[in-house]
Amino acid sequence: MLSGNYKTALSRVRSAKWQSLLTMFGIIVGIVSVITTVSLGEGIKRQVLQQANRLGNDLITVRPGKILSRDKNGAITKVNPALAYGFGTGSLSEQDIAVLHRQKGLKHVSPVSLLSSGPGLDGSQYNEGFTLGTDASFPEVVEQEVEFGGYFTPGEENRQVAVIGKRVAEDLFQENIPIGRTLTIRGQEFIVRGIFKEFGSTTLGQGVDLNKAVFVPRTALNNVAKDATQLVQILVRPEDPKQTAQVMTQVNNALTASHGGQQDITVLRQDENLLVANDMLRLLTTFVTSIAAISLLVGGIGIMNIMLVSVSERTHEIGIRKAIGATNRQIRNQFMAEAVVLSFVGGIVGVVLSYLVNFILRIYTNFQPVITLPVIFAAVGVSLLVGITFGTIPAIKAARKDPIEALRIGG
Amino acid sequence: MPLISLKDVSKLYGFGDATTVALDEVSLDVEAGEFVAVMGPSGSGKTTLMNMIGLLDRPTHGDYILSKKSVAKLRPNQRAKLRRDRIGFVFQSFNLLPKLNVLDNVALPLMYKGIMPVRRLKRAAAVLERVGLADRQYFMPRALSGGQIQRAAIARALVNDPQIIIADEPTGNLDSTSSLVVMELLSELHRTGNTILMVTHNPELTRYADRVVYMHDGSIVHDQHTPLGEVSPLANKARQLFPRRTEEDDLAGVSAIMETFPQKTETAKKRRKSAAKPKRKTTRKAVTRAKR
Repeated sequence: MLSGNYKTALSRVRSAKWQSLLTMFGIIVGIVSVITTVSLGEGIKRQVLQQANRLGNDLITVRPGKILSRDKNGAITKVNPALAYGFGTGSLSEQDIAVLHRQKGLKHVSPVSLLSSGPGLDGSQYNEGFTLGTDASFPEVVEQEVEFGGYFTPGEENRQVAVIGKRVAEDLFQENIPIGRTLTIRGQEFIVRGIFKEFGSTTLGQGVDLNKAVFVPRTALNNVAKDATQLVQILVRPEDPKQTAQVMTQVNNALTASHGGQQDITVLRQDENLLVANDMLRLLTTFVTSIAAISLLVGGIGIMNIMLVSVSERTHEIGIRKAIGATNRQIRNQFMAEAVVLSFVGGIVGVVLSYLVNFILRIYTNFQPVITLPVIFAAVGVSLLVGITFGTIPAIKAARKDPIEALRIGG
Repeated sequence: MPLISLKDVSKLYGFGDATTVALDEVSLDVEAGEFVAVMGPSGSGKTTLMNMIGLLDRPTHGDYILSKKSVAKLRPNQRAKLRRDRIGFVFQSFNLLPKLNVLDNVALPLMYKGIMPVRRLKRAAAVLERVGLADRQYFMPRALSGGQIQRAAIARALVNDPQIIIADEPTGNLDSTSSLVVMELLSELHRTGNTILMVTHNPELTRYADRVVYMHDGSIVHDQHTPLGEVSPLANKARQLFPRRTEEDDLAGVSAIMETFPQKTETAKKRRKSAAKPKRKTTRKAVTRAKR
């Protein structure tokens, strides 16, 4: 009985391909946007987790600005989105580095300065990139290997050398290992001496692609562009990973004290980056989901419309079916099946297209979206729900047709 | 106890001044195994009567007893189920579903009965063989000739083993050769015990029936048992009286037919006067049925 209905409905969809495709379009767009958003979020979440696992939970990041609030137990209660993403600027200073160096129980204190312009080469500038000033411990602190060449050593902090990200090598120099070539920062020449292995996208913060960065000694950077650099992060590792929480409190207290009691910096554990990332995603997801909801609504109305047309076009058929003994419920089920098949096929096409979008995103962007099984089930479920919701009214209309009237209308 | 028993069944359409009487207190008993030919001019209520008996329509007044059970007040679902199990429809315009092949069309009533696909297709194939279409099972209806389509439609009507077959002008769209085949088929069904009600305009076809009912203006005006194989004298008379329908008749509508209709009794004359306002009666008026 049911299988018969669905078979008939499928063959109708197949026989009117274009009409069906246009009808399903709204559903397809809705499903693709939902799946893509969720998979982007999932991808970022996984990268952050991976990063957190790789770096260990003992990497402490001190960032300028009060990004978030904590309750008494140290759990994050509120995130300030304006400061949370990318690099905040301002309230960290050389004095804070000195304060941290005086603290006990810290294995590394590694400040990161930003010059927010790319390096130049032969008079042209690499606009996508940016320049970071670090000290010699940076690769060790973020546990990132230098793939070719090497990083500068503590004794070379004054030398104008640079280690570059993978994308800088490809985009600026257009070769894989441009070791020994020079790039310019503020007109000063820096010699490339190493290329980093590819960074994950979330090592230091959301939306920061370290593969596009040029790393130079902080002292050298300050020498050429003292007025333009900003101290954007101080990376800290405790001597004993188990003491991370205490060290965080200690760092926070020390810095707050040196800032005259004002809480204008944020101390973050690596895994807390995930929460910050989540908060941004929640905003994005809400936004895209509302677009998707509208799209699904429009798609549903499209299905309802086409079903209403179909019902009135097939009045005669309804009459015949009723004359040979179809009950109202059976007629209703037939048209429900058609609406559900339309939206279901739309959902499936949406899922397939999402994989395509996913693939394209992976190739052309730094995102690594992940489509999970629950998302697919949810998407298909939603499309079924849309079909049921918007198929009901036309189906009831079909079921209520008077058989005599229906038979009389041409056919 | 007759198989079909209509008791003073009326069907009215519309309200108040616009009320149209399609059936006017019709009483009719049909025994199991009868082949009834229903004749009458257009608009005389033949099709309404067939829809009533076929449970597509429900009477405004009166009672309908189908094999000892009153079915006049049944709900649509129950009527649909009775229709499915007891009644087979054959239409003038065949009414096969154009997007299904012949086999699926024939199997459709079984689907509504809830029979599994394999069994229903088997069953449909058997019925198709019976009507001589065994080699046309997988054809689409549009690929068949009119006669073949009508035979497929009869197969569809038969597939549920109905007690009653209702054929509304089954040969109306067929040429004479196809008509003959279809009528022979119906005749054979009659011989094997089916009850058949057939609407027809062709007096020749009454030779297959053993009873002829003549309707006029929503009432049965003649009801006659005739021997099989003979054209009913009543039908012959009708043929003489309406040699052919002219365009003028069509334009003049029912009132033109009224003028030429054979009226002899007093009551019938009264009716002719009232019929000057054709088919429209402001009040339900009890009309004495014409004598047989």
